[in-house]
Amino acid sequence: MKIVVTVKQVPATTAEKRYTSDLRLDRASAESIINPLDEYAIEQALRLQESGAVETVAYLSMGPESAAEALRRALAMGGDEAYLVTDDALAGADEWATARVLAAALDKLAPDVALMGMASDDARGSLVPGAVAAIRGLPLLSYGSELTLADGTARIRRLTAAGFDIVEAPLPVVASVTDQVGEPRYASLKGIMAAKRKPLETWSLADVGVDGAALHGAALTRVVEARPPEAKPPTERIENVGPDEAATKIADWLAARKLI
Amino acid sequence: MSNDIAFLAEYADGQPSRGALELAAGAAALAKASGGAAVALAYGSGAKAGAPQLGAAGATRAVVLGDGEAPAITFAAAAAAAVKDFEPLVVLAPAAPNGRDLAAALVGLLDVPAFGPVRSVTVEGGKLRSEQATLQGTVITVSEPTDDAPQPAVVLVLANTFTPLEGGGGTAEVSDAPPADAGAFGMARTVESHPAEAAVANLEEASVIVAGGRGVGSEEGFGPLHELADALGGAVGASRAAADAGWVPYQLQIGQTGKIVKPALYMGIGISGAIQHRVGMQTAEHVVAINKDPDAPIGEFADLFVVGDLFAIVPKLTEEIKRRKGT
Ligand SMILES: Cc1cc2nc3c(=O)[nH]c(=O)nc-3n(C[C@H](O)[C@H](O)[C@H](O)COP(=O)(O)OP(=O)(O)OC[C@H]3O[C@@H](n4cnc5c(N)ncnc54)[C@H](O)[C@@H]3O)c2cc1C
Ligand SMILES: Nc1ncnc2c1ncn2[C@@H]1O[C@H](COP(=O)(O)O)[C@@H](O)[C@H]1O
Repeated sequence: MKIVVTVKQVPATTAEKRYTSDLRLDRASAESIINPLDEYAIEQALRLQESGAVETVAYLSMGPESAAEALRRALAMGGDEAYLVTDDALAGADEWATARVLAAALDKLAPDVALMGMASDDARGSLVPGAVAAIRGLPLLSYGSELTLADGTARIRRLTAAGFDIVEAPLPVVASVTDQVGEPRYASLKGIMAAKRKPLETWSLADVGVDGAALHGAALTRVVEARPPEAKPPTERIENVGPDEAATKIADWLAARKLI
Repeated sequence: MSNDIAFLAEYADGQPSRGALELAAGAAALAKASGGAAVALAYGSGAKAGAPQLGAAGATRAVVLGDGEAPAITFAAAAAAAVKDFEPLVVLAPAAPNGRDLAAALVGLLDVPAFGPVRSVTVEGGKLRSEQATLQGTVITVSEPTDDAPQPAVVLVLANTFTPLEGGGGTAEVSDAPPADAGAFGMARTVESHPAEAAVANLEEASVIVAGGRGVGSEEGFGPLHELADALGGAVGASRAAADAGWVPYQLQIGQTGKIVKPALYMGIGISGAIQHRVGMQTAEHVVAINKDPDAPIGEFADLFVVGDLFAIVPKLTEEIKRRKGT
């Protein structure tokens, strides 16, 4: 049994972000991290490996050469090997192009489970898992708060409007998990040392059998404008007053806005 | 190719979701601009019987993808077949898990562009323009399909972006989706269903949300927040810290990995305002925060920031609101 966890490198959540003159995210300007939600997918995969349900945990990323750092960090948490698809033709890739490329690489790796985060921090479309499943012709088990594997089937626990369902599908599948799977582990010093010796392979588009010309310049969407959000009016403060006065002032404020 | 605007309409227990009604209104408005029809892609239990009524919500036609209870993703092949059949300009999908899954499936099955979650969307001269907040709301971007992008554009829409039409008459003309093999997506099966013991509010429908965080301290601590929410005619929400602690169900979590809400009033009580929480509530019309820490990050983006002890202030506020409402 083999799991491939897809890992995206993203700008640190709190970092200043900038757009380049051609309206692409300036990925060089910000400190980069593993997409935080992918850490939960890594954690889920490593727990399955520890329980003996899975033999091999591999990582796959598509991004600039520097995304190898994110893969090394994933390998420091655990797991066996990593693959990076990097190609100049992929700059500015949108979710569709990303899904095409990851699907091709996953065809080559042929895992039982392609495991993804529920969303990427910088795009937040949550579209890559479903699009990859569609392209590869595999079942999709998305937004799992837990993933289990047994007897050739994968099962997830998934929140519903008021409770939860257990949804299953026969392997191989594409799955995504949420931040409810459990807190991701930290890499230990030993893990960081071990990661340096784990195999990390770099592939070009040609290596995964994708014709760059068929990728429409890596995007079907384009950003035509990028601007800062509208400034909010300054915050009004109520402080240094007793609870009775605070309550009256809040009620006045709400009433003035016809909220009560 | 048509100028039609399609939208996903999910049914459960014979009722269309709130999202379906909102998107129907949005599709009707866009269809006016594009010169096409608003067409529902209806699925789920009760879709077939309910689809004609989507006319009152704004749809001219409704294509039934399938009826019955099943994971939403199992309707993906039917959705793709329907879309191929009438080739709409745009497909609107709710930016919630089921809507995103179906949107993603369309992107992969049809090789079409995806946008959003949008804060606004327009069609001008047959071209879609979508506006979205990206990178934790630090940048607003406007996007459009590239010149060689195939139709339709799939657009994720947040709850409360459009307001359901009221009092409309009219019946949608109903048809079945062209037959399609459900394929691999059809292999996902729900094998167990565990409904909650108590009713759980749908935060996306609430116009007032009283959200509690770690500062609320316990399940009992949420009692006064429920009373305040009742007095305001609203619902209780929570931060991940409060949901993780088990004080409220996860369905009430607001934020990056919870619900993205857009109420008229959001009150954050004992919530620090972490970026992952903020992205779920920052488009609320009015934000009020009560926090004992004068430097809590929520104080930097709230409209009204009250520094003080929530346990002292919240019950007094509830009393005061009840008094003014005369209840
Ligand atoms: C990948 C990822 C996804 C996440 N997704 C989400 C998400 O969807 N939603 C979410 O909310 N978080 C999410 N988080 C967690 C987020 O980073 C914060 O940890 C969380 O929002 C903190 O919750 P809190 O504000 O309730 O708690 P804290 O940050 O601990 O804040 C508690 C606040 O209560 C105040 N307080 C304490 N006692 C009182 C009192 N008596 N009176 C008044 N004020 C008081 C304190 O001053 C403090 O400001 C996510 C994190 C990660 C890494
Ligand atoms: N460039 C990428 N490389 C590897 N995985 C990715 C990439 N983009 C998206 N993913 C995966 O897809 C998930 C959902 O991303 P998204 O659809 O962009 O919100 C992420 O959590 C990742 O696991």
